[in-house]
Amino acid sequence: MESKKKISNEAQAKNKTKDAKIKPKPEAQTKNKTIPAEKKLEQETQSTTEKKPKSKNQSKTESQNTPESISIESIKCELNGIDDAVFKDFQTKDGVITIIYLSSLIDPLTLHKTIVLPLVTDDKQVLKSYETVDGWNKQAILLSIANGDTILYHQEQRQYLKAQTFSPPHRSISSSEMESTVIGPQDAFTESLKTNLSLIKRRIQQPGLKSNDYVIGKETNTKISIIYIEHIVNNENLQRIKKRISDLDYAGFVDISILKQLVEDNPFSPFPQFGMTSRPDNAVNCLLDGRIVIAMENSQSVMICPYSFIELFNSPEDFYNRWSTASLLRILRFTGFFITIMLTPMYISALSYHPGILPFELLINIQESRSKVPFPPVIEVLFIELVIEILREAGSRMPTKIGQTIGIVGGIVIGTAAVEAGLISNTLVVLVAISALLSFLLPNFLMSNASRFVRYIFILAAGLFGMLGQMLAFAWLFNHLLNLTSLGTPFMTPVIPRKWSDMYNSVVRLPLAFIQEKTGMSRAKQMNKDSE
Amino acid sequence: MDVTKKKVLNGYHVIFLVQNVMIGMSLLSLNNTLSAVGYSQWWFPILFGIIANITLIPMVWISLQYKDDDLFDIHEKLLGKWIGKFLNTFLIIYAVVLFAAVIQNYLDLIQISVLPERKITGHLILFILLTVFIVKGGIKSLARFCIMTFFLTGWLVYFLRWGILDGEISHLLPLFNFTSSEFWNAINHGYNSMIGYEFLMIFFPYIIHPQKAFKHASIGIWITVFFYLSVTIVGAMYFSEWQLENLFFPILKLFQAVDLTFIERIDTFGITIWVFLILTTAGAYLWMAKKGIDSVRKKNSTYHIYVVAILTYIIINLPLPQVMKEALYEKNFYVSYGLILWPTLLSVVHLVRRKKKEVVR
Repeated sequence: MESKKKISNEAQAKNKTKDAKIKPKPEAQTKNKTIPAEKKLEQETQSTTEKKPKSKNQSKTESQNTPESISIESIKCELNGIDDAVFKDFQTKDGVITIIYLSSLIDPLTLHKTIVLPLVTDDKQVLKSYETVDGWNKQAILLSIANGDTILYHQEQRQYLKAQTFSPPHRSISSSEMESTVIGPQDAFTESLKTNLSLIKRRIQQPGLKSNDYVIGKETNTKISIIYIEHIVNNENLQRIKKRISDLDYAGFVDISILKQLVEDNPFSPFPQFGMTSRPDNAVNCLLDGRIVIAMENSQSVMICPYSFIELFNSPEDFYNRWSTASLLRILRFTGFFITIMLTPMYISALSYHPGILPFELLINIQESRSKVPFPPVIEVLFIELVIEILREAGSRMPTKIGQTIGIVGGIVIGTAAVEAGLISNTLVVLVAISALLSFLLPNFLMSNASRFVRYIFILAAGLFGMLGQMLAFAWLFNHLLNLTSLGTPFMTPVIPRKWSDMYNSVVRLPLAFIQEKTGMSRAKQMNKDSE
Repeated sequence: MDVTKKKVLNGYHVIFLVQNVMIGMSLLSLNNTLSAVGYSQWWFPILFGIIANITLIPMVWISLQYKDDDLFDIHEKLLGKWIGKFLNTFLIIYAVVLFAAVIQNYLDLIQISVLPERKITGHLILFILLTVFIVKGGIKSLARFCIMTFFLTGWLVYFLRWGILDGEISHLLPLFNFTSSEFWNAINHGYNSMIGYEFLMIFFPYIIHPQKAFKHASIGIWITVFFYLSVTIVGAMYFSEWQLENLFFPILKLFQAVDLTFIERIDTFGITIWVFLILTTAGAYLWMAKKGIDSVRKKNSTYHIYVVAILTYIIINLPLPQVMKEALYEKNFYVSYGLILWPTLLSVVHLVRRKKKEVVR
């Protein structure tokens, strides 16, 4: 009983949304050429008057629905109000065949090639080649129409057939703008799930690579694909992420970052606990390590879980560079993170609480530069940090052409003018610029955002208690990071030594000959055997 | 999830828990507390290490007899419900006072050196909150924090280099330049820097491999001894005997000897980074008090942490004269000496009871 009620509720809700959202456009309905105008009007009137009781009745009898018992009229009735729904009748030797599809999801050329042309020329062979939809109920047929399939209805035999014709417009593969590299493959994921899957699968050519498809989102019915290598991945991790995804109750998934935030271990943390990448080579690296990659339709990046803190500092280019260069860059990024959160707070605590820690000449230098500044250092720092933040935000929201102007206005006018006006000191401008640049050094965009957020905590702590406040904030940060988990695995893995070989590929990257083993983070299958 | 398991501590966790709970405020004044024996103090940490390792034996032995019980449960099992509960209540008070003592000693130092003319209320609240935050994650969270602390503070040893450069190596000899009363005095005052390893008895049931606990705890103790030894050697080389007797925090003076071009006074930095060591020590006693209340009330609850935290805040802010407070804290350290020797007595009780049972059979 309960399930039936649910279904009827859903049907009602669907009707309501359709009525509210999609306004009928009379000129678009001319597409339905084969249906006489009077008939159609009749249908419309019928459907509007009988909609509610009908849908209830349908839901009650739905379990007994066989494809034979579903009338084409009822489907027409359900698709009423979707003006790009097309019903076309074809007279073939075998009888009349109606095809139903949504024209916005299907490329006309594909339709012509796969459906229209075969139907017109030769029917019997063609009809066998389509998928039959035996045992389907009406909801499933409607759903597959909404998914971009073409439904063929054989009038005489009362049989439904399905052809996969989903071919929405999509852009071609281009290079990644988020994570660009100098060397290495340049292709990046696009918004099409199929393209993304093919980008991954053409890199790992073996049957062990599995991809399980799921549909999530109550309203959007978004397709996702959970990709893993069966003989490497940790089953517990796989079960855990599958359970989390199936437990989700969320209306719409527009991008994979939404899914990522919903299944993360700690949603309150400023740090991302799962990886996200738009580069197939990065995703493949993680797959080979035994991670799980989740791709989503309409999302141009994929999600990687589990992921560790140290990996947020890694770029796939590290593996293409020589190990010495890669190590140098990694150390730079890693120290850069700590400098970017500590530099301006240090300025505050040095000037407001402990002038003794600076060498005399430097102290004189700084004090001289801020002799005209009327504010305490905290206000000064907060002011200029906010200005930088505003500039960054304005620059990224503006159209590109105006964005350049923002850079000039911000960098030159505000920077120099504020110093000359005596609002901020020269030294601070340098420090803030350095820390802003360092925050952009991190390859992971979410991580660089997190570092900027954390910096404000440090600034406030330094303003309140000087160096002690900074250290307390530092302790908070570390405790927070140590308690974070990613799919139940500690987030700070190389520090909590799960495996010593992880150290070879952490802040430094040793030559590839050393990095043969799977990381402790992924808890890959081979490792489990060894430890047991 | 690893949170739900009971056995959570591996070898590294045990090593660093033991080591970081031991190192705390007392290291800052170690040279001073050992000053009774003058320059001969430099080898005392080794002696302490040996004593600690010997007293560790009964602790681990009695814990191994009751693998799934901490000290509180052992009390109730060995000594009966009521005596056990009484002793446990006493232990809770001990832990709370020690927690307060550790925090207050540190914040007083902060008030003197880093943040002069500031009331301690603000950072006291922040400090207690942070400890609560760490302990709320359970013993594993504390253990991880200890590992982190080791890496964040261990390198401070490097700053002793300047002390060695300026020091006089001939201070290290002769070895036995003291009377017996001076010797006992130094041991009496100095040994409280070793306090902390008795905490092993509280977190023992959480160790994955209890058989190896003795080895790991010993490693922890000897890491501590290494740090103490380097400090006492450099202290003995760098300071004069008068300085050793009259400087309360000699390490800060050692920090001031550091000569770097880009930073003038490293001691501010040193004291503030010490907060990590204090947090681990304070966190351990907070957790101990929480466990104690858990066992007395027979109920696991996170609220017990808040209760202890509020209690501590009240103790620190009690309008008592400074002398009385210091006396309270000092007496509390003697209780820890008792606690270190206590397992020996418990072992005897355990043996006697086992004999009795066998006789009855």
